[in-house]
Amino acid sequence: MKLKLVLSVSLLTLAAAALPRMANAEVAPLDLVQPIADYKIYVSENLETLVTDTKAFTDAVKAGDVDKAKSLFGSTRMSYEAIEPIAELFSDLDGSIDSRADDHEKAEKDPEFTGFHRIEYGLFTENSTKDLGPFADKLMADVTELNKRVTDLTLPPEKVVGGAAALMEEVAATKISGEEDRYSHTDLWDFKANFDGSRKIFDLVRPLVEKEDSAFVTKVSGNFDKVDTTLAKYKTADGYELYDKLTEDDRAVLAAAVNTLAEDLSTLRGKLGLN
Amino acid sequence: MTQTAGSSSPRPSSQKLMKLAVAGAALLVVAGGVAFYYASKGLKSAGSNGAITVTINDSACDPNEITVPAGRSTFTIVNKSNRALEWEILDGVMVLEERENIVPGFTQTMQAKLKAGTYEITCGLLNNPRGTLHVTPSAESEAEAARPALVSFIGPLAEFQVFMAMQANSLVKATKALDDAVKAGDLEKARESYQKARAPYKQIEPMADLFADLHNAIDPVADYLEKREEDAGFTGFHRVEYGLYAKNSLDGLAPVSAKLLADVTALKDRIRGLRIPPEQIAKGAGRLVGQIADTKITAGEDHYAQTDLADFEANIAGVSRMMALLKPVAVQAAPQVVADIDSRLTETTSALTALKGPDGYPAYDKVNADSRKALAQKMQGLAEAIGKLNAAVGLE
Repeated sequence: MKLKLVLSVSLLTLAAAALPRMANAEVAPLDLVQPIADYKIYVSENLETLVTDTKAFTDAVKAGDVDKAKSLFGSTRMSYEAIEPIAELFSDLDGSIDSRADDHEKAEKDPEFTGFHRIEYGLFTENSTKDLGPFADKLMADVTELNKRVTDLTLPPEKVVGGAAALMEEVAATKISGEEDRYSHTDLWDFKANFDGSRKIFDLVRPLVEKEDSAFVTKVSGNFDKVDTTLAKYKTADGYELYDKLTEDDRAVLAAAVNTLAEDLSTLRGKLGLN
Repeated sequence: MTQTAGSSSPRPSSQKLMKLAVAGAALLVVAGGVAFYYASKGLKSAGSNGAITVTINDSACDPNEITVPAGRSTFTIVNKSNRALEWEILDGVMVLEERENIVPGFTQTMQAKLKAGTYEITCGLLNNPRGTLHVTPSAESEAEAARPALVSFIGPLAEFQVFMAMQANSLVKATKALDDAVKAGDLEKARESYQKARAPYKQIEPMADLFADLHNAIDPVADYLEKREEDAGFTGFHRVEYGLYAKNSLDGLAPVSAKLLADVTALKDRIRGLRIPPEQIAKGAGRLVGQIADTKITAGEDHYAQTDLADFEANIAGVSRMMALLKPVAVQAAPQVVADIDSRLTETTSALTALKGPDGYPAYDKVNADSRKALAQKMQGLAEAIGKLNAAVGLE
């Protein structure tokens, strides 16, 4: 199922990207300034949360408190996942903070495998904080550095607007299958954050698109609502159910919504004259 | 079916577009299938319509060194390794473009609009050696660099909005503290808050002074008012300053600080809705620095607190920020002008720093005529350098 998804998403993305520019004549470049500025503030706020949460998470790891560290893992990642289109602009930090074992030659045993998923592997697979101290320190240093770099970064508008679709493609490719958080199964937390991040971008540019294509706006909002309603079923007191609780039916609903959202949102850059 | 087709040809109807989209998608399915066929056969597929094909195997890219002209390029990435991978074009540590999750045996296409320069490309696993992408200047890219498109100013202008919003927040916060201290009858705290509020205001002054009504309420100087300090129009910062530093008293200041708080709050709201055309940045910065050189250095503004040098420092910090934001867009079109502004900003900052003593800046009335003249000359040079920027990047 996953392969089909990836293929269909990428083909649709391609088809959309290859279309001639349309409906962008009425969106003046300067109309985008305020949405991009507001998005920068959203990113900065998420990064502040990320730094605070990562401190608590890595402190728990270093204190050897396995249970506490486990309980903080899912929520700590959310502010990273919400702003992934910007966070992953820095290839070195994206690699050291959020790479998966598959990205490394020796997988879990590779010394270069660091960051969230390395700690996740220790906590949830080995059920221990043994030897995780250096990874905790490195993660803390990396998110602090990320915060600093993004503060100084002038956001490329096409990456911001393109980020709405990129987040959905990311969900389609690695989250629907439950492979991102394979040791902890906290994928629904990531899911929620990816959706929120994508919706934030959509909401910020929505007034610009609404004037010209209200049907598009209605369709996209409808799909976001469908996702919210489906995910809400899995909300718990302090977060979300584990991924294996997700029913086949709901997974299908989410997969369909993700695909349609990825497809629709991939036209956003063109609609706003940013291709 | 190129991306630019729509901008030069009349717009097709949406029905036509739909057909195009369907046909395009179908074509791509076929193309994807063909590419997959060739990839799985291990044959080298020659790039159709100028696409560059990059094949990634378990340890490297083939080719490992690519040269393309600046502008739009299409890359076809073939994953012949046995793992899902992402393909990225890197400028230092920054990702310029990427395609993620390319499944083993599959092909993805990526479009990139690249500026001239040398970039790295990733080749599968994170520790695999990276390839090199040379992007050579083209006539199109040179023309665009000389006259940047309006879209290239979106990023800098958005950053400028963020900068102003943050300064405006600090301004409101410090003015609130000032108002609270005045109401509480705490002269020392009021003086401290006054100084804290002054700096953010001065940093955004080039935009704040665009609102004439608020500017006249927030920052009028008694010299320009008929009855000077006794004038009903003498409100805002300097009226507060007059009480705090000339009369050493909070008497009668409560309505003044309350009004100042209302005015800076209104300023904050208006700045948020401000739609700034790109040429306003250099224009505003140049105008302010010119005013400092022409009148402010001679006359001074802070007659009672004598803190003009701190004002100038905040003004220049704001101007530096504005210039830094334009730099990435302007540097290709006008490297000389940008370098000149840079060096004059450094000189101006040094001239200010040189006046600092162990306890910070001296009272402005202790700064002698020679020092003032030297500072005015630096400011004048800076204003002139900034004055050349808009024309050099095609904004006039």
